[in-house]
Amino acid sequence: MRLFTRRTGLALALIAALGLAAFWLLSAPRPLTAADVPGHTPDLANGKILYHAGGCISCHQPSPELAGVENTVPAGGAPLHTPVGTLYPMNLTPDAATGIGQWTDLQFLNAVMRGISPEGENLIPALPYTSYAHMKPEDVLDIRAYLASLPPVTSPEQEADITALPLIRRGVGLWKWVGLDTTPWKPDPAQSESWNRGSYLVNGPGHCQECHTPRNVFMALDESRAFAGGPHPEGKGKVPSLRGLIERGRYTDAADLASALKDGEAMGYDGLASGGMGQVQRNISQLPESDIQAIADYIASLK
Amino acid sequence: MVSKIAMGLFTAGVLALGLSSAAMADAKASIEAREACMKANGAMMKVMVPVIKGQKPYDKAANDAAIAAAEAACAGWAGWWGEDTKPGGDLKTEAKAEIWTDPAGFEAAGGAYMKAVAAVKASADEASFKAAFPDLGKSCQGCHEKFRQADQ
Repeated sequence: MRLFTRRTGLALALIAALGLAAFWLLSAPRPLTAADVPGHTPDLANGKILYHAGGCISCHQPSPELAGVENTVPAGGAPLHTPVGTLYPMNLTPDAATGIGQWTDLQFLNAVMRGISPEGENLIPALPYTSYAHMKPEDVLDIRAYLASLPPVTSPEQEADITALPLIRRGVGLWKWVGLDTTPWKPDPAQSESWNRGSYLVNGPGHCQECHTPRNVFMALDESRAFAGGPHPEGKGKVPSLRGLIERGRYTDAADLASALKDGEAMGYDGLASGGMGQVQRNISQLPESDIQAIADYIASLK
Repeated sequence: MVSKIAMGLFTAGVLALGLSSAAMADAKASIEAREACMKANGAMMKVMVPVIKGQKPYDKAANDAAIAAAEAACAGWAGWWGEDTKPGGDLKTEAKAEIWTDPAGFEAAGGAYMKAVAAVKASADEASFKAAFPDLGKSCQGCHEKFRQADQ
């Protein structure tokens, strides 16, 4: 008896075709729709706060080749090195041709909260849409309104330097089934208003868990070990645990932690400059004191 | 004849081993000296920051003592950055490779620190100390952001 008959060949081809079809269907982006866009009057001041809480500028820095653009303007293009390759985060200024000036609100929400580009492609999750997915859409639209108020800068988009990028994007679509939790953030009525504000800022815009929570075998955040620290996403060194910071004597109390987030190593708080935290701290220092305290109240409560 | 060659090889091997372990010891000593220097700098911050925050009264003698201790601990600084003390080798270090790829930047960061310490040292009263301190704090922050790795 021959093992490989025409029939088994056909069966194998069929299985392969079904597998491909399943991959294609399962890896397709699942976007928000027009019904998900809230009727909303943008609040620029709130947008500015959340823009800093989100640390947008840290990745969307202007390319060093852009002459005369302040490094506080999110014109994008500066290389972002990741283990999968080099990305060039895009221009967030309202430039019509190269920025997001022409984007609709729905396109912006889909990019930020679902990781889907206006062209319908899956975005590499270096953009922490996995955290932004928990945000209130109104807040995301406020960030958009703030960005729209910035001066437009011409900074053409540059394709990521990643091998087999289209296939990787499809792979990301598959990964989203386990890696993208779109549950909206919910307050804990047992906790204070400040704690809840902190919880929102940390878990939504602040996306602290993206580095401070270890990942499971599927590269999804392991919520059973939330904030327990993990390997550094750039591949070298570790990201410290945020659990028990007070109990372990890293900070005397939540007020001390707030002071650390506000001033960082400039006031002798060791460990707040290296590993990228310097940029995070600088962004946090732009927030109102009440928000910095809220973040500290929440982080200090992590056991 | 054969035994002579063997002896020669053996001697060379012992020498090479000895040399490399001596170099290793030097590298280890350099890294430990860097860490002791940074600890002394940290101790200096612990003396000064509470004064800036208004938690402790201004004490020029305490400031001067902390600066003197840091200067003593960091005296050999220039000789502690051998190629064998780079990250990625056998020895653990929080130093970033950028120290060696951007020596001018590293030099400038060190210079900013030296200038700030000199200004704090020269400050004779509380007001001038408080005016001089922010640059010192920023120099720690600025250098660590560029040249110190995440926790190892």
